[in-house]
Amino acid sequence: MNRFRSILSRVVALHVAAIAVISIVMPLALYWLLNEAANGLHRDALRGQAVTISGFLKPLADGVVLDIPPEMEPLYAGSYGLYSYAVLDQAGNVLFSSRNDGSALFPPKETRAGDWQMRRRSTGSVLFGVSVARIVDGRSYLIQVAQDLSHRDVIIDDIVASFFPSVAWITFPLLFALLLIDIMIFRRALKPVTEASTTAAAIGPTSTEVRLPEAAMPTEIVPLVHAVNQALDRLERGFRAQRDFTGDMAHELRTPLTIIRARVDSLEPGPLRDELRKDLESMTHIVNQVLDIAELESFIVAGDARADLQAVCAEAVAFMAPVAVAQSRNIALAGAEEPVWVLGHSEALFRAVRNLIENAIRHAPAGGSVEVEVLADGTVRVLDDGPGVPDAERETIFRRFWRRDRTKAESRGLGLAIVARVAETHDGSVTVENRPTGGAAFTLHLRPAAGLTAAN
Amino acid sequence: MRVLLVEDSTELVALLKKGLAQGGFSADAVRTAADAAHALATMRYAAMVLDRGLPDEDGLTLLRDMRRRGDSTPVLVLTARDGVTDRVAGLRDGADDYMAKPFAMEELLARLQALLRRSDNLLGRRLTFGNVALDTESRQVIIGGTVRAFPARETAVLEILLRRSGNVAPKRLFEDHLFGLSGDVGSNAVEVYIHRLRKMLADSGAAVKIHTVRGVGYLMSEEKEKAG
Repeated sequence: MNRFRSILSRVVALHVAAIAVISIVMPLALYWLLNEAANGLHRDALRGQAVTISGFLKPLADGVVLDIPPEMEPLYAGSYGLYSYAVLDQAGNVLFSSRNDGSALFPPKETRAGDWQMRRRSTGSVLFGVSVARIVDGRSYLIQVAQDLSHRDVIIDDIVASFFPSVAWITFPLLFALLLIDIMIFRRALKPVTEASTTAAAIGPTSTEVRLPEAAMPTEIVPLVHAVNQALDRLERGFRAQRDFTGDMAHELRTPLTIIRARVDSLEPGPLRDELRKDLESMTHIVNQVLDIAELESFIVAGDARADLQAVCAEAVAFMAPVAVAQSRNIALAGAEEPVWVLGHSEALFRAVRNLIENAIRHAPAGGSVEVEVLADGTVRVLDDGPGVPDAERETIFRRFWRRDRTKAESRGLGLAIVARVAETHDGSVTVENRPTGGAAFTLHLRPAAGLTAAN
Repeated sequence: MRVLLVEDSTELVALLKKGLAQGGFSADAVRTAADAAHALATMRYAAMVLDRGLPDEDGLTLLRDMRRRGDSTPVLVLTARDGVTDRVAGLRDGADDYMAKPFAMEELLARLQALLRRSDNLLGRRLTFGNVALDTESRQVIIGGTVRAFPARETAVLEILLRRSGNVAPKRLFEDHLFGLSGDVGSNAVEVYIHRLRKMLADSGAAVKIHTVRGVGYLMSEEKEKAG
């Protein structure tokens, strides 16, 4: 069934099969019916002749006489006549016959009134006829009337014979026209469905309020459309709840942190204040990461979102440069200098690159360097000259709160999990390998947006 | 310098007022967008610090209304919502700057000062970073209290770095400022002036350092050991 995915192609396929069957069966059936009708007419004509002839039987003393009007004689004249006849008495003796030898048309012993009979003549043609009983003057006579099938009524025969070439062909164009009409009808009937598909395709995380129109739908499809709309309702509620939750959570967590931060800032300068600030900064960092990962959980990149990866990386490098400088690391941007358009959300990509840089700064030695490289194919590489990542940990480090050593309190936190999640939402990937010169190289692969000029 | 502080947390308002006062600002605080609109209509403020999460409406709605009325008061937006989908929206709606909570008081003051400097030269003509200062009118460079004479282009480079104090100034910015639209800029022209400025600053005993962020621009940082 996979070959006929569309309703239209299924209709056409089934229709073609039906046409194939009908175009064989229908002419045959019509031919048979026509033949039957012709035969019926033929029999009626024969029986009519028998009745006519019986009307010419006139009673005579001790018998009958056959008095055929002269104008009808040619009808029965010898081998040229349309019909031949014989009149038999009850004993089977032939009284009158149109045949030259005066014999019966069918053997008298086998003949009963009302019978249809056939006999092969010596010439090879077939004689077909009927016997009709008639009572004249108290005595019963049998009138046989027959016709040579090779001389049957010409008109009827011609119609039957020419049926196939001259009439039956009309079946095919008619069936074909029907197929075309069917396709048109189906196209029309499916139009609301096609339109609904276009509407449905436009539904995204930014337009969850869109619903499919139910009014114009064919009745058969309404339940499906209705069910889809209900599913969309639930989805929208889910999206909104998730958005509200992360938004509320951000507010609930950040407001007290802001107050604490302001209180700490108002303290007298000294080691205690510096310690508290450091604690608050790492706390804030974790809260921000938790909020990011919570938001990314329900984040979907809009289908038409485009981002300039080069600009995103330049912004991320500029954003992290003060941090790098403060920690005595060098940071640089390399690779493409022209815009590199990818399918994606600028801010989400910014956070991914920022987290990769944060990770690299943390692992590069003091005085070491971090390099961000943008490639024209939609790839970002973040290189550091730290200890690198052991083979066994190349998958696990992208997990949430993953720790190299469970007994130690310090974890890699959520940074790389955020990167992995952003890659996932962008249908991309993030991998890590060690550089031949030492240090780790994280590679974030994104999907390039080909032939693009505008941005979101 | 009078600023309007729009924030609904009373605790935070008290702390921010104190911090702003230490930075030389006196702040009028209101709790709702409606009160803020009223305050803006009756009084002229040098700047506004606006929280997004207000009890009556989103701070950004207030901002949009302000801008529609033609009110160009510099606005620094504060937000607890700094989600992936939030950050850009705030700036697009006419905010001059944008800070996510929680923030350091120092940074709030620095950003506010930068905002005012950008708008009307309200903070005067002196740009300061570490022990380096620049008078933007007289083009005098003052290092550790001593006035130095720097050539025009080196001074222009220094001004850009000072205006971006602590943040990266993109290379493009130097090219535009130094050479205008005159076109052909040698690929290392900016690097040459940066190099000269570095040498001059070092020779003058400046406690700042210019870092090259290859591929992006330049960043000036304070040298703690020299400053201390």
